[in-house]
Amino acid sequence: MEDVVVHYRSGSADRLGSLIERTEKLLEPFPCRTPPVFRPWFSTAGHRLPIRPTKPAPVITSNDLIISDGRSHPDTKSVPENSRQKPRRKGSPDCHPQNCPRETQISMSKQFHHMVSVHGLHLRQRAKWVIGEDNCGMTQDMEQVWLTLSRLVRSAQLPTCNANIQREWAEIWVFCDVIYSEQVGWFLKDKLRLLGRISLSVHGAGNIFSM
Amino acid sequence: MTTLTRQDLNFGQVVADILCEFLEVAIHLILYVREVYPSGIFQKRKKYNVPVQMSCHPELNQYIQDTLHCVKPLIEKNDAEKVVVVIMDKEHHPVERFVFEISQPPLLSISSDTLLSHVEQLLRAFILKISVCDAVLNNNPPGCSFTVLVHTRDAATRNMEKVQVIKDFPWIVADEQEVHMQEPRLIPLKTMTSDIVKMQLYVEERAQKT
Repeated sequence: MEDVVVHYRSGSADRLGSLIERTEKLLEPFPCRTPPVFRPWFSTAGHRLPIRPTKPAPVITSNDLIISDGRSHPDTKSVPENSRQKPRRKGSPDCHPQNCPRETQISMSKQFHHMVSVHGLHLRQRAKWVIGEDNCGMTQDMEQVWLTLSRLVRSAQLPTCNANIQREWAEIWVFCDVIYSEQVGWFLKDKLRLLGRISLSVHGAGNIFSM
Repeated sequence: MTTLTRQDLNFGQVVADILCEFLEVAIHLILYVREVYPSGIFQKRKKYNVPVQMSCHPELNQYIQDTLHCVKPLIEKNDAEKVVVVIMDKEHHPVERFVFEISQPPLLSISSDTLLSHVEQLLRAFILKISVCDAVLNNNPPGCSFTVLVHTRDAATRNMEKVQVIKDFPWIVADEQEVHMQEPRLIPLKTMTSDIVKMQLYVEERAQKT
């Protein structure tokens, strides 16, 4: 016997209650088993699971070089730390991050990062970009490049830099912190419409990089 | 007092803007306080008139921005139930889950002059709680990473299209392993009730972290 069906005439709730009670008593002698828990053959877990980006968060170790001008958070204000106020370098505007060149974030290429590590350079050490006559091209001479560069410096577009022209060597030297030098290099090449490669040198290490 | 529906003044967007801005600051602060990243990449800044620590690392900043950019449409449509910052150990098992549970009323009773400053005060309290939460949490094991999970009100798969707003930033349904935590300890941090959003933040912490 698989099923027991009890028919009853609908009426009051009391009658139903007594009927169930009586039926249960009548069924007591019969063997009883608990039905197995229903396990769906399809997965329903997915409906309750959250979503996440496929891409994992970046891994950053203490050895990684981190540089930023901090302007990636437009709605936060920087908090100056009085004890760390740097003295203003003569001939070079204060290198406060907010005055730095226009890119919102300053990062180094792997190649440049490697070069910094190899030479054991300090990020605030000064480095020198050398612009030669060959870099000026046919459409402009060195004096014109120097004028343009002076305008850029005066208009605070190269706030970390100071520059001078070495007429006897036919070179323009642009000094900047190592931390900004790669970015400054690209900026110079773009704004001064330089041709060929310009080289970066550091006192004691000589030419260390070119672009 | 004025009663508005969610459609009026594109209020969903306003709420999403406010919440995503808050979540960005909160995520940075959690990562700093829980030492997921080296402290050297963080910079002290000011938000909601309190000091916060924000990452200066371009890649990390971009990741957080992209994540929230994708989450924003869900919040805007009131489809996001929880935004969870999960800190995972080396084996990618969660050790801590910072759960932001969000609820938005269908009708908005607002007085616009006090609205934003009031919400800002409430969010400030969240930030302050996060900044001191390390006092009530155990240290995390070294080498932790994080992810952001979004629990949606409907089935996750229904909302996939809404979050795929950045081409190179796809989303997937999380694995059970990334969500499930054994014997979590619940630490309530803060709740807020405002005219535009209700939110509570609690931490689920794994009992045995090592």
